[in-house]
Amino acid sequence: MTTVLLVEDDPGARQGLELALRRLGYQVRPAETGEAALGGIGQDAVDVVVLDVMLPGLDGFEVCRRLRRGSDVPVIMLTARGDDFDIVAGLEAGADDYVVKPAEPRVLDARIRAVLRRQARVGSPAETHGELVIDRGSLTVTLSGREISLTPTELRLLLVLSGSPRQVFSRQQLLDLVWEHDYLGDSRLVDACVQRLRAKIETDSSEPRYIQTVRGFGYRFGPV
Amino acid sequence: MRTRLIIAFIVVALLSALASAWVANLILPFYPSLGNLIRPDWISHLLNSHVPGAGRHLILNSHVPGGGRHLIALDAPAGGGPPARTTALTFVLAAAGLLLATITGLAFAASRRVLGPVRRLAEAARLMSGGDLSVRVEPAGDELAQLVTSFNAMASALEDKVSELQRMEARARQFAGDVSHELRTPLTAMTAVADILPGHPGLTGDAAAAARLVSEEIFHLNRLVEDLIEISRFDAGTAQLVTDDADVATAVLSCLRARGWTDVRTDVPAGLTVRLDRRRFDVIVANLVGNALRHGGPPVTVTARAEPHGPGSGQLVVEVCDHGPGLPPAAMAQVFDRFYKADTARARSEGSGLGLAIAAENARLHGGHIGAGNHPDGGAVFTVTLPRASHRSASGMVAQTVPAGR
Repeated sequence: MTTVLLVEDDPGARQGLELALRRLGYQVRPAETGEAALGGIGQDAVDVVVLDVMLPGLDGFEVCRRLRRGSDVPVIMLTARGDDFDIVAGLEAGADDYVVKPAEPRVLDARIRAVLRRQARVGSPAETHGELVIDRGSLTVTLSGREISLTPTELRLLLVLSGSPRQVFSRQQLLDLVWEHDYLGDSRLVDACVQRLRAKIETDSSEPRYIQTVRGFGYRFGPV
Repeated sequence: MRTRLIIAFIVVALLSALASAWVANLILPFYPSLGNLIRPDWISHLLNSHVPGAGRHLILNSHVPGGGRHLIALDAPAGGGPPARTTALTFVLAAAGLLLATITGLAFAASRRVLGPVRRLAEAARLMSGGDLSVRVEPAGDELAQLVTSFNAMASALEDKVSELQRMEARARQFAGDVSHELRTPLTAMTAVADILPGHPGLTGDAAAAARLVSEEIFHLNRLVEDLIEISRFDAGTAQLVTDDADVATAVLSCLRARGWTDVRTDVPAGLTVRLDRRRFDVIVANLVGNALRHGGPPVTVTARAEPHGPGSGQLVVEVCDHGPGLPPAAMAQVFDRFYKADTARARSEGSGLGLAIAAENARLHGGHIGAGNHPDGGAVFTVTLPRASHRSASGMVAQTVPAGR
């Protein structure tokens, strides 16, 4: 059973979301504060974190940043405003996706499922692209022999792009393939994730070798 | 005003010059020695230097009450110089001219002094009507001082009032935004559990109907709060444009398909690419089509075309037409107002009442606008005009293929 760590300070919203998620078949571990969430995450396995932005004490962005230091667990931000600032700040903090409040249970469910699908393994041999070795079977990525820790979204983006080297993917295509968003997906999700991925696998993020920008069109993997 | 004043001075000067000449003519025959006061050499040099062989002379003619003509000659060579009458007239004109120049100069200086404060007041009033309420006029120590003081007092009062009104408006808008945000938290809880109620086997009869109603109203409330928050973003100036190159046909068809509007006709050319915010464009099309479906008559048609406008640029024109009774003339100007209802007796409709206002704001954010009108064959027409190349680009991409880092 999928375990969701639900971080929400408002008791009504927390109980409502917990009820809805349980009915959808998730096991829910509620947390009232960011501190409680960070303390509880290590105790037992959490598959996905649903994190409210507006929290007393540590806010959602800070919780996400601290979470990212030691964990690659998928994080879905629950933003009360839907304001552009919140979304960008959430993505920069390392969130994989976001849902605007009041979140409809089926939307939240779809987002959680999409995030989890990114961890799906496919049996195929490891590929080598320059210094980068991508193993689709074990879902590991090594750069110059050193294993790189990627979040499921970053990994999925890398797998999609490297699956068809030199092919240009538009942001919209990547939103569809990686995030499984509808036709109105937010292209900033792609840009934020590309930047995080570059920070991890590129020697020089300003001169990317693996994830290249095709201005006006999107991104492509290589040519290495 | 100033010109009139100067003209008046000139007229007075001319009249006084003529009068003085006349007085001189009266006096000189009785006191010929007065003629010596006017230096003959100077006058003749001034007036008659062009006459070859002219000697020193001054001739005045005068009509004395007794009749007859007196000629006064001063050191005049016989047979030389211009006719006496002309010389005398020339002198009078010269005197008048000098007087005129002096008086005009005086009039000019006087008008500057009198009209200076008036001009400053006029300039201040012009600035104020242009929106600068901080303008004040320097106090002048003359008759206009009181007017200047009153003007400054009025400006201060107006400035205070306007800034107070602006503060109140900002507070009201902030309040509307805050209320909408605050509503979201309880709505999150309600939305999360709303699906549980309808169709629950434990609920029958009135309880089932009540549960269904509550569930539907939660949906409406959600939409209303969403739209209120969207409007408050425009009011606060925090709405941002995230532009990307988009195919208009795809955007329009996706918008209709996502909402299940299968009976809406479209006429959009293939391959029409425009740089726009896809989400906001979707909102514009959805709100206009939704409005046409609710308030207009079927069939609803969406057409789009690129319209040439100026060299090298163009505009995207999207029209949403219905075949209903059209907009009443009184509604045309107000149709984009918030919560405006063309028919006040009409019960609350499915929409939030903010759809058209939001569509108009979104068009404005793109640097475009929406117009409302009626088709000659009947039915309302909403025309969206957007610049094809949006000047405010958030992602800042250009359409060229160069592999480079962002």
